[in-house]
Amino acid sequence: MSNSNAPDSPAAVIEVRNGSFSYGETPALRNVSFQVARGDFVGIVGPNGSGKSTLLKIVDGILTPQEGESLLLEKPVRSYGRKYLAREVALVPQSFTLDFDFAVHEVVDMGRYARKGLETHGLSTDELLEKLEIDALKDRRFPELSGGEKQMVVLAQALAQEPSLLLLDEPAAHLDVSYQLRLFDWLKKLNNEGLTIVCVLHDLNLALLYFESMLVFSEGKLFASGPTEEVLTPETIEAVYGVHAYLHRHAGRTFLTFSPRSRPTRKEKVHLLCGGGTGAHLMRELVDLGYSVSVGVVNAMDTDEVTARELGLPIAAEAPFTPITDEAYRENMSLVEKADLVLLTDVPLGAGNIRNLDSLREAAVMGKDVWVLDGVAERDFTGLATGILEGLVDVRYLRDTQTMLVDLGERV
Amino acid sequence: MKSQKSNKNTILIGAAVIALFIFAALLSLALGPANISVGKVFKYLFQGRISGDASSTIFWQIRMPRVLLALLVGAALALAGTILQGLFLNPLTDPYVTGVSSGAAFGATLTFFFNMPAIPWLSLLAIVGGFTTLIFVYSIARTRGVLNVYRLLLGGVTMSYLFFALVSILMIKSGRDLHAVVYWLLGSFSGRGWTEVKIALMIIPFLIVPFFFADELNILLQGEERALELGVEVERVKRVLFFVSATVTALAVSVSGIIGFVGLVIPHICRLIIGPDHRKVLFLSIFMGASLMTLSDLLARVAFAPSEIPVGVVTIFFGAPVFLYLLRRKTA
Repeated sequence: MSNSNAPDSPAAVIEVRNGSFSYGETPALRNVSFQVARGDFVGIVGPNGSGKSTLLKIVDGILTPQEGESLLLEKPVRSYGRKYLAREVALVPQSFTLDFDFAVHEVVDMGRYARKGLETHGLSTDELLEKLEIDALKDRRFPELSGGEKQMVVLAQALAQEPSLLLLDEPAAHLDVSYQLRLFDWLKKLNNEGLTIVCVLHDLNLALLYFESMLVFSEGKLFASGPTEEVLTPETIEAVYGVHAYLHRHAGRTFLTFSPRSRPTRKEKVHLLCGGGTGAHLMRELVDLGYSVSVGVVNAMDTDEVTARELGLPIAAEAPFTPITDEAYRENMSLVEKADLVLLTDVPLGAGNIRNLDSLREAAVMGKDVWVLDGVAERDFTGLATGILEGLVDVRYLRDTQTMLVDLGERV
Repeated sequence: MKSQKSNKNTILIGAAVIALFIFAALLSLALGPANISVGKVFKYLFQGRISGDASSTIFWQIRMPRVLLALLVGAALALAGTILQGLFLNPLTDPYVTGVSSGAAFGATLTFFFNMPAIPWLSLLAIVGGFTTLIFVYSIARTRGVLNVYRLLLGGVTMSYLFFALVSILMIKSGRDLHAVVYWLLGSFSGRGWTEVKIALMIIPFLIVPFFFADELNILLQGEERALELGVEVERVKRVLFFVSATVTALAVSVSGIIGFVGLVIPHICRLIIGPDHRKVLFLSIFMGASLMTLSDLLARVAFAPSEIPVGVVTIFFGAPVFLYLLRRKTA
C-alpha cells in the first residue's frame, strides 16, 4: 500500500476513493478509500460480511460503487470493456462450479479468451500447468478433480489471462494445509516476478506469514491498513472480531492464538500459584471457562509468566532465578486477597518458591477455597511443605489437572 | 497425445453425422405412399422437374418441401435447445420455455378460430404471436440493462400457461372441427409446401450466428459472473443468443406447430456423444436435429400409411424413453 501523497510512489494499480456500495437496503461498503501500488502483495481480512468480497467485485468492475469511485490504472473501472479488464485483472473466486466434462487444459484455455487474436508473451498452457506443478492433471476431467486440484486449475485459468493484477477471494477456504501453503508459496513467487496481488483471506496466521501489508475491514469500513505486523495486533483483532488474540513469537515467526471470549463471563476470581510451565495450560482453560484469573509468584521469562502476559492477566512476578522476595510476596498476597479460589499446580517446590505455599496457607486461613494437586510431598525439595499444610482442613486435593478443570467447569 | 486422439474422434463423429444427415434426407425423399427409387431421387435432383412425370411432381411439389422443412425445423429446435440449456445452465430447458412457442400457438389458433386462409395467415400470425411474447418476456426479465435468466425462464413458463388457457378457450368456443387445431398444436409437416419452406429458409442465417459465440457459451457454463471476469460481455452475448434462439423457434413453430422433445433431448444426446464444447455441440446438434426430425417425419408418414400421425407424437414416443434412460445414467 502506498500513501496517497507520497511523491515517489509508483502509479496506483487500484485506487478506491470514498467508495460505498449497498445491496438494496443493506450497506456492504461505506466510504472506503485506499490504494494498491504496482508490485504490492496485500491481504484483506475482516469478519464475515465486512465487505471484503464486495470490494474485490468493485475493483474487478463486476459491481460499480453507488458513491465514490473505483479506479484501475488511474481510470474509472467502468470506463473499460470487459475484455480489456480481463487482460489487466484476474480473479480467483472462492468457489467455482463447472459441472461440464471439460478437460483441465480446456478450462485453463478459457482464461485466454480475452487475449484471443492478440500476441501473447506469457506461458503456454502446458508451461503454466508445469509451473504450478499440476501438469499431471492436464487431460483429467475438471469435475473429477479434488477441491484443492480445482483451486489450482482456477489459479492457472486466472494466470492464463496474463493479468497485471491478481485478485483472490479466500482461495484457501476449501484447501487442506498442504495445498494452502503451496498456494501461498506460489502467490509469493508470482509477486516476486512482478504480479500485483490482492487477496481476501480468513486465516490471520497465513496473513502474518505471507503478506507484507494488510487492509482490515469491519462492518463495511476500512478499519486499519499498513504493514501486517503493525496492523494485526491483538487490539485490532479484538475490536474487529470481538475475540481475544494472543501474539506469540516462535522460531522467528509471529503467530496468533485466539480464545473465544474477550471478557470474563463468571464473577469468580481464581488465583493460580504455579511456575515452570505447570500453569500455562490451566490459565488458558480458566480464561476460556470465563474466570478472571491472576497468577503468582512466577519468575519473569518463565513459561507461565510469558503465557500470563500474553493472556493479559495480573501477575505477581519475581526476577529470573531469584527466590521470592518480600515485595513479590506482598504483591502476590494482594492478588490472593481478591480471589475466591486459590489453586496450586504441580509445580516442584524448592527454596526459591516455597513461599507460595505460605500464601496458600494464608488463603485457607482467610476462608478462601483452596485446591491443591495431589502429591505435594513428592514435589517438595525443601521438606517444609507437609509442615506448612499441616492442620489445614478445608484444602481440597485433586487427582490431576483434568479433574480440576472438570470441577472448575461445573462450578456455579 | 490424448487431445490428438480426441481431435480424430471429433472428425469421425462429424463425418458420421453428415453421413446420417444425407442418408436421412435421401431416405425421406425416396419413401412415402408412392415410393421413389434412390436412382430416381438422384435423377430428379439433377434434372429438376420433369413435366409429365407424376412421381417427379410428387417429388418436387410434396416430398422435397416437406423434407427441407423437417431438416430446417429439426436443426432450429435442436440448436435453440442447445443454446438455451447452456445459457440457463439448466438441463431441463427446451426452446419452448421462453413462451415464444405458446405465443405462436395462440396466433395460429386465431386463424383457425376466424377461419382465415392458412396461407399466409397461419404462419404470419404465429410469427407475430411468437415475437410479441418474446418482447414481452424479455422486457419483464430485463432490469437496469441486466437480463435475469431466471426471470426469463419463469416469465416464459407463465406466459405458456396463459396462452394455453387462451388457446383452450378458443378451441372450445370455436365449436367447429378441432381436428385441424389439435393436429397443428402437436406439430406436423403434413400438407406444407414451398411457402412454408420460404419462411423456414430464414432460419439458416440464424443457425450460423451462434458459432461466433461458441467460446462465450463455453465460458458461460462457469456462470455469468465468472464469464464477466474472464472478459465476456455477458449481456451482449445473452441478448444476441436469446434473440437468435427465440427467432429460430418462432420461425420453426410457425411452419410446423409445436413439436416436442427435439429441443430438449438432442442437445443432451450431442453432449453425451461429443462432450460439452459448444464449438462441437452446436455443429452436431444442427445435423442431429435435422436428421432425427426428418427420420421422425418419415415414420409419421409411413408407420400407419395411408393415414398420418403428427410428427410431434413420434418425437415424444422416441424422445421420452431416450431421455429417461439418460436421466437414469446421469444419476447412476
